[in-house]
Amino acid sequence: MRISGTGRQQMRRRLTTAAALFTVASIALVGCSSASEGGGEGVTGAEGEVQLVEGVRSLSNSYHANWVAGGELFGESIGEEVIVLSDEADSQKQLSQIKALAGSGQIYALNVDPNTSADTEAIVRAVTDAGGYVVTQWNKPDDLNPWDIGDHWVAHISFDGRVSGEEVSNALFDAMDGEGGIIAIQGILDNVASKQRYEGLTNALAGASGIELLDTQTANWSRSEALTVTQTLLAKHGDAIKGIWAANDEMALGALEALKAAGLDGTIPIVGFDAVPQALDEIQGGTSGYIASVSSDAFWQGGAGLSLAYQAATGQIDVSELSNDERAFYGTQIVVTADNVGDFLEAPSLEALQADFDDPFARSQGGIN
Amino acid sequence: MTSTAPKLGESVRIDRGTRIKKFLVGAGPLLALIVLAGFFTIASPTFSTPGNLSILLTQLSILMVIGIGLTFVILLGSIDLSVEGVMASSSLVFVLFATNDRNDFEFGIFAVLAGVLTGSLFGLINGLLHVRLGIPSFMVTLGMGAVGIGVATVLFGGRAPRLLDDGLRVWGVGNTAGISNLVFIAAAVLAIAFIIQRFTRVGRYGYVIGGDEPIAKLSGINIRKYKVLSFVLSGTAAGVAGVMAATQLGVGDTTIGGGLLFTAITAVVLGGTLLVGGRGGVVQTLIGVGIITVLANGLILVGVDPYIQQAVQGLVIVIAVIASGWSLRRRVRVIK
Repeated sequence: MRISGTGRQQMRRRLTTAAALFTVASIALVGCSSASEGGGEGVTGAEGEVQLVEGVRSLSNSYHANWVAGGELFGESIGEEVIVLSDEADSQKQLSQIKALAGSGQIYALNVDPNTSADTEAIVRAVTDAGGYVVTQWNKPDDLNPWDIGDHWVAHISFDGRVSGEEVSNALFDAMDGEGGIIAIQGILDNVASKQRYEGLTNALAGASGIELLDTQTANWSRSEALTVTQTLLAKHGDAIKGIWAANDEMALGALEALKAAGLDGTIPIVGFDAVPQALDEIQGGTSGYIASVSSDAFWQGGAGLSLAYQAATGQIDVSELSNDERAFYGTQIVVTADNVGDFLEAPSLEALQADFDDPFARSQGGIN
Repeated sequence: MTSTAPKLGESVRIDRGTRIKKFLVGAGPLLALIVLAGFFTIASPTFSTPGNLSILLTQLSILMVIGIGLTFVILLGSIDLSVEGVMASSSLVFVLFATNDRNDFEFGIFAVLAGVLTGSLFGLINGLLHVRLGIPSFMVTLGMGAVGIGVATVLFGGRAPRLLDDGLRVWGVGNTAGISNLVFIAAAVLAIAFIIQRFTRVGRYGYVIGGDEPIAKLSGINIRKYKVLSFVLSGTAAGVAGVMAATQLGVGDTTIGGGLLFTAITAVVLGGTLLVGGRGGVVQTLIGVGIITVLANGLILVGVDPYIQQAVQGLVIVIAVIASGWSLRRRVRVIK
């Protein structure tokens, strides 16, 4: 298409106008947001006037269903209803649901699992603008911390794969009586969780002289890839394999299917991470060789996280007095074995979690930074 | 390529010189496979043991079934990108109709049929949208692939349903005479596909349409019909692959075909089927799948660091394509 001289000028003029309008609009927006930030700072609500809100991905997966059950236990402990926002893995939906909370004008306490790290900043800013209080879990950008934003982002909770990686590895070594070769199946190699978990295995290996790491491969978190990789490694190392370590349960279950096809299931112990329902079933069944997984305890995440946000919203906790290690901390992950698998299959009693509700920091493993 | 379609059963006379040349061109991928297998046999004591050979056949089977289906579509000069979505849907339909831990259905062999037909249905829709509305095949199939994942996600419902029918599980984890049952399924699919390609109109006309579509049209071939049928074949194969994967893993899953699409396309092209269509076939695809499977297995056996494995794999594939397709390089200039 050819544009004539005057046409081009017109177009340029139009672009300039658009740019000017855009600039004005953005300045106005920034002005509004900073104004409301100033207004919301430091206002807390009386007990019984704070809305309890859980923000999760979906109620159809058992992990988030347990999360919500934990939150409802906390609601029960203070006699309040809990509102559940389910975003079905849609980041836009998640943000608009949270923005809509401001509509009631009530102060709210939100415990949320942001869909991705990139969503976290928008969420905590929306909560700050509305004068609510939020605790985030799992996902946040490394260089963004609660104290950068203000007191309305109470805390961020995550989990250190190095600690749980070492613990579950030791469970595997115990099942092997401390002797023999293992193979390790990693997730996507540049993934933080996969790296941390593998580092945990490496640390455990340093303290276990009888265990030899025969081979380490990646299966990209995938069940079918793990099956293929395990088949090949079985051919390569044969009887030398006395244990299998996988960086998540999906891959551990894939390895288990490879063992089944080779008629070896039940003879080689397997460990994974995440405590997915099928893995818990296998651990409970006790015959497949699947001996352990790692759980972040979704009930605790849902209950203690909400309790922390609530205590900030009611002024029981003064956020400005919390240390940085309290405002971004690692929670405790628990190794799930046949001994305690029952605790993860159904919701705990209120009594069991009450201490964690009273002190949400009880399971802190230290600051993230 | 001759300008008119040979009639069924009629052989085309080719002089000896062309025949030898043609053989050498066709043998390139096979030579690449032999060189690779030879290398790994020397480099790893495990590679050519009966145990590993049996594993290789197992690892080859699902990829081969997908590759065979794709071959029919690629021969037309089209592409089917819906494979992963179709596998996800068919695996879930299959598991949810068989004995499972989600509902009370136990339709046994009919569940298998339902899974496979799910694939055929996706293929039919792909084909119809492509020829009736004239949308490029890569767009239609990319979209339908997403639909497949979507349908699967709804059926998935947050937790992978498990296949509890032991009779069907045996298809995926059982052995007959030391060889996985999956291999026999794949071999049957290959045999059927070979017959279709060699002796039916869908197969024969596929070459003509892929070779020169306007000429095929002028000679009165119902192009639309045979194109749709080719997409149905591809979808059906993906459906079979989804069922096979489900019997192997014991679950229906949205990610059950994850990463297999581009591996399968690579295998088809590596075997010597041209992306522009008109030349290739299912037996060539078997060789392409062989190369990829041997490579993935061999690199682990010789202990290549996982951090560079993928790069090495890609490099070897590029070299194999250059080496085996050197004489074809003029023909592969255009990709449609």
